[in-house]
Amino acid sequence: MLEHILLQTIIIPALCAPAVIFGRRLFGKKAAWIARIGLLYSTLLLLFATLKLTLGGVPIIEQHAFAGPAITMNLLGDGLSLPIALIINMLCTALAFYADHYIDHRIEAIYGEVDEKTATNHYTRFYALFLLFPTGFMGVCFASNLIGIYFFLEILPLPLFFIMAMFGYVDRVRVAMVCLMWAVFGAGFFLVGSIIVYYQTASFAVASIAQMAGTPAAFWSISMFLLTILAKMAVVPFQVWMPWVHAEHPTCIAGLLAVYANIAVYVMLRILIIPLTADFQIFSLPLMILALITMVYGALLTLGQTDIKRFAACSTISQLAYSMLGVCSLTVAGIDGGLFFFLGHIMGKTIIFSTAGIIVYTTGIRDMRQLGGLAAKMPLTTALWIIGAMGLAGFPPMSSFPAEWIMFTGIFKAGLMGSPAKLVIAIAGAAAITFSVVYCFRSVKIIFFGPLDEKFINNSHIKDPPLSMSLPLLTIAATTIALGLYPSIILDLFHKVVAAGPFM
Amino acid sequence: MHLYAWLAIILPFIGIAAIYVASCISGRLRNLAAVAFPIMAALCCLRLLPLLLHPGQLPLESSWVWVTHPFILEIGILLDPLSLILILVVSVISAIIAVYCLGYMKGDPGINRFLMLVNLFIGSMLLLVLANNLLLLFVGWKLVGLCSYALIGFYYKDERKYWIGGPEGDAPMTTPSFCGLKALVVTGVGDLIMLGGILIIFFYAHTLNLMELYKSAPVWFPELAQNPNLVVLVTFMLLAGPIGKSAQFPLHEWLPEAMAGPGPVSALIHAATMVKSGVYLVARLVPIFYIGRWVADCQSAELFFTITAWVGAITAFIAATQGLVAKELKKIMAFSTVSQIGYMWIGLGVAGLTQSTLVAGTTAGIFHLISHAIFKACLFLCAGSVIHAVHSIYIQDMGGMRRYMPYTWFFMMIAAVCLMGIPPLPGFWSKDAILLVNLEAHHIPIFVIAIATVALTAFYTTRMMAMVFYGAESQNLSHLKEESQTPHEALPIMWGACGLLALMLLALGAGGPWVERLLHHNFVLNLTETLKLPIKEAAEHAINYHLLVTCLSIGAILAGMIPAWVIYRSHERKIILQSRSVFRELHIFFWHRWFIDAFYNRLFINGTLKLADFVAFEIEDNFDNLIHHRLPVLVTERLPHLLLRLKTETDNFLYIGAYLMGIILLTIGLAMWP
Repeated sequence: MLEHILLQTIIIPALCAPAVIFGRRLFGKKAAWIARIGLLYSTLLLLFATLKLTLGGVPIIEQHAFAGPAITMNLLGDGLSLPIALIINMLCTALAFYADHYIDHRIEAIYGEVDEKTATNHYTRFYALFLLFPTGFMGVCFASNLIGIYFFLEILPLPLFFIMAMFGYVDRVRVAMVCLMWAVFGAGFFLVGSIIVYYQTASFAVASIAQMAGTPAAFWSISMFLLTILAKMAVVPFQVWMPWVHAEHPTCIAGLLAVYANIAVYVMLRILIIPLTADFQIFSLPLMILALITMVYGALLTLGQTDIKRFAACSTISQLAYSMLGVCSLTVAGIDGGLFFFLGHIMGKTIIFSTAGIIVYTTGIRDMRQLGGLAAKMPLTTALWIIGAMGLAGFPPMSSFPAEWIMFTGIFKAGLMGSPAKLVIAIAGAAAITFSVVYCFRSVKIIFFGPLDEKFINNSHIKDPPLSMSLPLLTIAATTIALGLYPSIILDLFHKVVAAGPFM
Repeated sequence: MHLYAWLAIILPFIGIAAIYVASCISGRLRNLAAVAFPIMAALCCLRLLPLLLHPGQLPLESSWVWVTHPFILEIGILLDPLSLILILVVSVISAIIAVYCLGYMKGDPGINRFLMLVNLFIGSMLLLVLANNLLLLFVGWKLVGLCSYALIGFYYKDERKYWIGGPEGDAPMTTPSFCGLKALVVTGVGDLIMLGGILIIFFYAHTLNLMELYKSAPVWFPELAQNPNLVVLVTFMLLAGPIGKSAQFPLHEWLPEAMAGPGPVSALIHAATMVKSGVYLVARLVPIFYIGRWVADCQSAELFFTITAWVGAITAFIAATQGLVAKELKKIMAFSTVSQIGYMWIGLGVAGLTQSTLVAGTTAGIFHLISHAIFKACLFLCAGSVIHAVHSIYIQDMGGMRRYMPYTWFFMMIAAVCLMGIPPLPGFWSKDAILLVNLEAHHIPIFVIAIATVALTAFYTTRMMAMVFYGAESQNLSHLKEESQTPHEALPIMWGACGLLALMLLALGAGGPWVERLLHHNFVLNLTETLKLPIKEAAEHAINYHLLVTCLSIGAILAGMIPAWVIYRSHERKIILQSRSVFRELHIFFWHRWFIDAFYNRLFINGTLKLADFVAFEIEDNFDNLIHHRLPVLVTERLPHLLLRLKTETDNFLYIGAYLMGIILLTIGLAMWP
């Protein structure tokens, strides 16, 4: 059972997907429990593997044949991939529980009053598609082959497309297509980058990318990969897809969309920064400038939003750039902190998005200006939103607090040891966090504070959600607080890998 | 001894959980939990008092490693004279206020939340003060900011009765939730800039531990000073945090609005404790920049002290002028708080300007912090009781309250006399110490501003007391009496707390010179023997500076007090204001807070929101239109034949991808062609 742990974490969700579809004949909606149990199991596996590594174990290397000698399904579970995969899988598990009520609500909203069989079909279809997310994420985390990463990156847009088209909001089909096109656009460049690597090293293995160091081809392959990464991360000027996609999807996968975008930072580190550090230097300053622009632009964009879902979407644009700023500083602290911030962000964003989902689910309203005063009737939801806001704004005891601290230590170091421009970016970046405080807590004021709107006063539906929706979010909140109080459990694992690189 | 310090931090945090659990059982048990933990924390701090009497054992430190990678970060406590003084002030005043809260918040539906937040605040503040490193200090710093936000916006439903500003029709009014957000954002700006300054120091010093920073400063400060601009940058960045937190110019505009919170919150957070954290941090940084200036001989390090002193002087004056015309009782005190903290900044700033004023300046600044914490807490608690009794926040709705609230009047009078600096209360000793050190440093412009501010302080304090407790009763009181709501003395638990603070003031006043000597002795030992800072003896003067300062100070008090009493006791104010246009103009100028708040609102709030709308609705919408609509159309019109087969009915974006991909592949191919 404990053999091929990494492969299991990829395969089990993939196998659970058809099981949910076939199981609905027998179990009806309860077939969704196949998905939840499968995800719980894979989370436990990852927890076990991570703890083993923490206690001095060695990285897990699994070799599996796939398509000839060049294209393998080799997997690597080291200090970088295991903790990231663990947190992502935990989020998938939590959202599999959270989605229960929410997806029923979406089915009713889109398809109206349908018979039970049709409702069950829609419901289980959602869960079957949902399971492709953990499959893709785990694959991206563990694959040690460029084609493997490409393959799993390409899997991810599929559930995104179908879930959005089937369970999304008003403009769902068009936006699902836009999302797919952007994914295809990015993936194309990734493939080109991979092919350049292959022609230079005769291998698709991530480990062999370092052989290209110092060659002109390294510059071009980095450029190609970066186009993919920047598009995935919605860095300015590639940000236009993000508000649409986040606004139209069902919020029960919202947290995963943040992961979908943010995982590109991990990919950048794994395939570019670690193997090609010296060649990447030339990209460092331009990327930091882009990150700063994106932070500020995304924050202003967020402040301009009135739609609760677009609000969360635009804040993602801004927040993703923080991780990028840290990682692109090319310092150990910047990279450690940047990755840790990535984890803090996806947890905080999952809470915020899912809480937005609770509000939409409860009130049926997305326009923040029509909300207000909800704290009086939804205290737990308010607390969850504030916890999420604290996570995004980097307040203790959230994990984003030590993450920001460590990340900016690295960014300032890059500024003080490198060009003055980087120091200016560091100072501006630290000051730009103020925007996060502004938009996060301004949203609290608009949505939850003030007098309760008249239409809500006598509405008995306006109340905190059932426990099945709030408990998963509380679990995520507890995790981010635990990591904030004791960050070493993950930082030490990151550090083992990052410190081995030639970083400042 | 370490155990007591750790317990002092931990107990209030345990109190949060205890209040929640107890509230599920009974209200009385909850009340017990709400006061028991702050009192226990205060007792732990008092147990450390002997260390202050025998400072030879100090400093004491205890820590454990929190983060090992990518660098070592510790969680630890530092007991030295500065932290000891602060925790005594914070814990004892907090415990008294916690007791007062039970009366003030009785029957409030949000009392559980309130009491939990108060405990969280006390724990966070003690964490901030006892932290042995800048990171942990920053954790406490952020947490107290968060508590402040939650407590200012405590009445989050924004009911009309909790709005501040006005009176209605006379000036704009703001809601508690807005005030909370404003405080969080304004202080947050300073915090994050300060974070940058701390990180630059960390880069050079390789440590955040305070004692290590002091001891290694002679080594790392010269390295930092190789680039004098960097010293200037670090100075500004480090001071930004305290300026925000202590509501000093130019980040002072949040504190008057912070009065939207319940009365005890104003007393606890926005007068007695949290706003002092900025003063505390400046005092913590003094040795570092002193070493930079007087050991490493870096001239630019002097900027730290110059800015500190001038920020203090400017703030003290500006805030005092605003206090002259304020109509809300708590807002007068808020302006007064900002002004008085300015005095503390003056003391600490002057401390590093010469080698002979280090100990005297530090002592004066911290002594004023202690006396201000007590008298302002007393003033705020009494004000809370008065507001409670008259159901109004405006002083013109009061008048003649002495006969209804004799205890409150008596205790508030003691605190007000202390605020004015009348001997022999502690305000006199501490304020005069600051004035004296200014004169000794020959910083005449700041000395003149400080003396002028003494007169203004006496004026607004007398005006406040005259309008609240003396003279004829207001119409509001008549209405209340008609409705059988005659004002009456506060609950015993409330006036008892005020009385205890007033008693502390009398005791501290009686022992003022002794306390000053004790503080001086502690700082001499700490700064010169432990930290080995070089100091010089003060030069002898032909004139008795002490006597001169006392005479000038008392003269300034009389100059402020007498006209205020004449005008506001006799209700002749309108005639005087109308008779001189210069008074009218000045009144308008001060009433609009020197137009600073309006300027900030226009520039930062309206400016940012307009910019946000421009980004969202002009740039982003047009860019979206270009990428998702116009560009595909353009491409398809120009290359219809080539791309015809790729056309999809749902979206045209594939065109761009294919088109760009083709161009890029071609470029790469050409570039890589051997």
